[in-house]
Amino acid sequence: MRMFRLMSLFMVAMTLTMTVGLARAADYPSKQINMIMAFSAGGSSDVQARLMEKYWNKYANQRWTFIYKTGAGGALGFAEIARAKPDGYTIGGLNMPHIVLQKLGQNAQFDPQKSFAYICQVVNDPQCIAVKKDSPFKTMKELVDYAKANPGKVTVGMSGKLSGHGLMFLDFKKKYPDVKFADVYYKGAAEQNVALLGGEVMVIFGNLNDVMRATDQMRVLGMASEKRNAFLPDVATLREQGYDIVSDIRRCFAAPAGIGAAELKYLRDTFRKICNDPEYLADMKKAGQPAEYLDGPDFEAYVKSQYGKAQKALEEAGMLKK
Amino acid sequence: MHEFLLPAFLNLLQPLNIFLMIAGLAGGIVVGALPGLTATMGVALMVPVTFSMDPMNGLVMLGAIYVGAIYGGANSAILICTPGTPSSVATTFDGWPLCQAGRADEGLYTSLLSSSFGGIVGSFFLLFLAAPLAEGALNFGASENFWLCLFGLSTIAVMSADNMGKGLVSGAVGMLVSTVGLDPNSGAPRFTFGIYEMVQGVAVIPCMIGLFSFSQVLFLIGSERQHIADYRPRKGTFGKIFSYLLTKCKTVLLRSSIMGTLIGILPGAGGEIASIICYNESKRWDKDPSRYGKGCIEGVASSESANNAVIGGSMIPMLTLGIPGSAVAAVLMGALLAHGLQPGFKIFTATGELTYTFIASQFAVNLLMIPVGFVLCKCMARLLNLELNMVAIGIVVLAYIGAYAISNSMLDLWMVVLFGVVGFFGVMVGWDAGAMALGVILGPMIEENLGSCLQLAQATDGGLQTVLAGGFINKILIGALVLSLLTPFLLKWKKARAKASEDDHA
Repeated sequence: MRMFRLMSLFMVAMTLTMTVGLARAADYPSKQINMIMAFSAGGSSDVQARLMEKYWNKYANQRWTFIYKTGAGGALGFAEIARAKPDGYTIGGLNMPHIVLQKLGQNAQFDPQKSFAYICQVVNDPQCIAVKKDSPFKTMKELVDYAKANPGKVTVGMSGKLSGHGLMFLDFKKKYPDVKFADVYYKGAAEQNVALLGGEVMVIFGNLNDVMRATDQMRVLGMASEKRNAFLPDVATLREQGYDIVSDIRRCFAAPAGIGAAELKYLRDTFRKICNDPEYLADMKKAGQPAEYLDGPDFEAYVKSQYGKAQKALEEAGMLKK
Repeated sequence: MHEFLLPAFLNLLQPLNIFLMIAGLAGGIVVGALPGLTATMGVALMVPVTFSMDPMNGLVMLGAIYVGAIYGGANSAILICTPGTPSSVATTFDGWPLCQAGRADEGLYTSLLSSSFGGIVGSFFLLFLAAPLAEGALNFGASENFWLCLFGLSTIAVMSADNMGKGLVSGAVGMLVSTVGLDPNSGAPRFTFGIYEMVQGVAVIPCMIGLFSFSQVLFLIGSERQHIADYRPRKGTFGKIFSYLLTKCKTVLLRSSIMGTLIGILPGAGGEIASIICYNESKRWDKDPSRYGKGCIEGVASSESANNAVIGGSMIPMLTLGIPGSAVAAVLMGALLAHGLQPGFKIFTATGELTYTFIASQFAVNLLMIPVGFVLCKCMARLLNLELNMVAIGIVVLAYIGAYAISNSMLDLWMVVLFGVVGFFGVMVGWDAGAMALGVILGPMIEENLGSCLQLAQATDGGLQTVLAGGFINKILIGALVLSLLTPFLLKWKKARAKASEDDHA
């Protein structure tokens, strides 16, 4: 009798535990989700995430709590995401190629190939080659011809050596070794734009997001993307003009690796709904954010392919951190 | 422009806008006064709130927070010798001696009225001269910014004229500290001693909280005092200060405000540099520079009018070219973009009513600041009546919260303690905390700009010399730098001559 009572108690307990367990997975999210931002509040990454939050609240019943963990070009915030408990209640924004370059060039405390479960890509900000409006260079060909005739005299402004711009520069140097540009690095897009408009540098490799605000004063010679961008539809891609350069900065959201399959599926599904919401896309366009959705597995494959390429490029330039 | 001005001022009379301006100011002043909570953070945290607002109301509120926070920083600079925001470092030089002499009320009113004056001058330039000034700012490239920062650094020589050696050592140590972290030019980690977290470098604000607040608390606790300082508010001080500023200080105020605006327009330089340079210039041109640093009204007035004038200046390139002139202007630009407003010269025509309402609100905010700030600074001055032990605990708690809130990093808290101890013992051996803070703030800017110059030199005929010394603005800045470095010797010479002529007469 006692045995039976014990058994039944055990059974009840088991059932309860299991239902509670089931209920927990089905109820996700049952509390607020921490959103780690690696860049400061009010910046471009933050503005994008805040727009996303607006639509997250439409599809999900739990809100985001923003945590700003800034510094070292985002590396500290990215590491915070990698280190978080993979229970689905901490996610964050990541940038490419930052995560790859920081791992390769600065020994960052995360591994872009292992530390993250990617939710999806939300922004693809291609790089442009731009000159000042009154510059003598009207086309890429004129610029390249001049650089060939005057090696080392064409100054190119970029923001940061270990950055998407720097990577594009290395790529260009390798593919077109007879075109010798002089590289000049600035702290950020603002300083870079001033340098171009003030005539300190002749050319910039800049992000579409920063360049398109100044199209009154700048001429974009080419865009380092696979196809033309809706923000500047008249600007030909570099490939169209015969230069095989594709380079961009992408933003994605990710959870720490090891997150449960159900939670990851929920996050991926919800983010997909947001990214397909026409109102969200209209808001993104208004804010000048080049939206481009790529689902989690595809983005992971992209990260892997870029990792190999960046490793090779940095090794050849002697910038690889051992 | 004229067709937008009347509707703009009418928009300001909406009760909601008036409420938002007052609330923004009050909130901004409190955020600014708390060490560690900066203007940038205050504005950034409110940006998402504006998403649910009309863009006009949102911008008016954000602008009010910006103005309030930059002024608010002066209160803690004067009352507890802790710059509430990095823009108020120079306010401590004379504000704190005023407070120690029991004249805290004079310091507080001076900072309030000068801030308001500086803000109005800045807004005036923003309203009438935005386009030509923005074009002019583009002539400030890497080399010009390099010289400007060196010019700012040369303040050390004037600041610690009686002991230049120790001042220079303090500044150099500050610059050395600023090299910790990622190299701004190559991105390689430096001086991290194997601790990965150190790649973020020594953040300016935790370092300043340590150097000023924490060391000050250690000093106060060690003293026998019951209160931070005697506080003897007298009736009629406000009126007295008001007329003093209008008569004896008008040149100082006007010069500092105009220089502050111009420095604000430069994308690389903000309130931190403007207030220091203007303080320096006021001291240099004064008949009796030895008054400075001992509690002189002009010192507080020049620093505070300059840092509020920066606000209007920093918005000029932000609105016209999409290039923010300060960290807060960058956040404001983010807010503009999120509301679908594209910066550019078109912003003054296509969305003219909104833009001019925003500019007009800056005038209104600076005037409203006088009553709002008056009430708040009287409340804050009560701090001096509290028992020292309580105040000390309060300062440490706030300093820690502020330092942690910057980037949610434990390392920053250790920095506060480290620099607190450095500041405490440093002052004992004659180090200058102000000079060290200057080194930490200006070090990275000097390095970044020098790096860009070196890279440019490779592509320039004539090399580095042409890059650094070519150009009209560079030559002027070099001249100013030399003059600034010679100032202590000139002052000594002037003193000696005055003495000699006195002796002759005798």
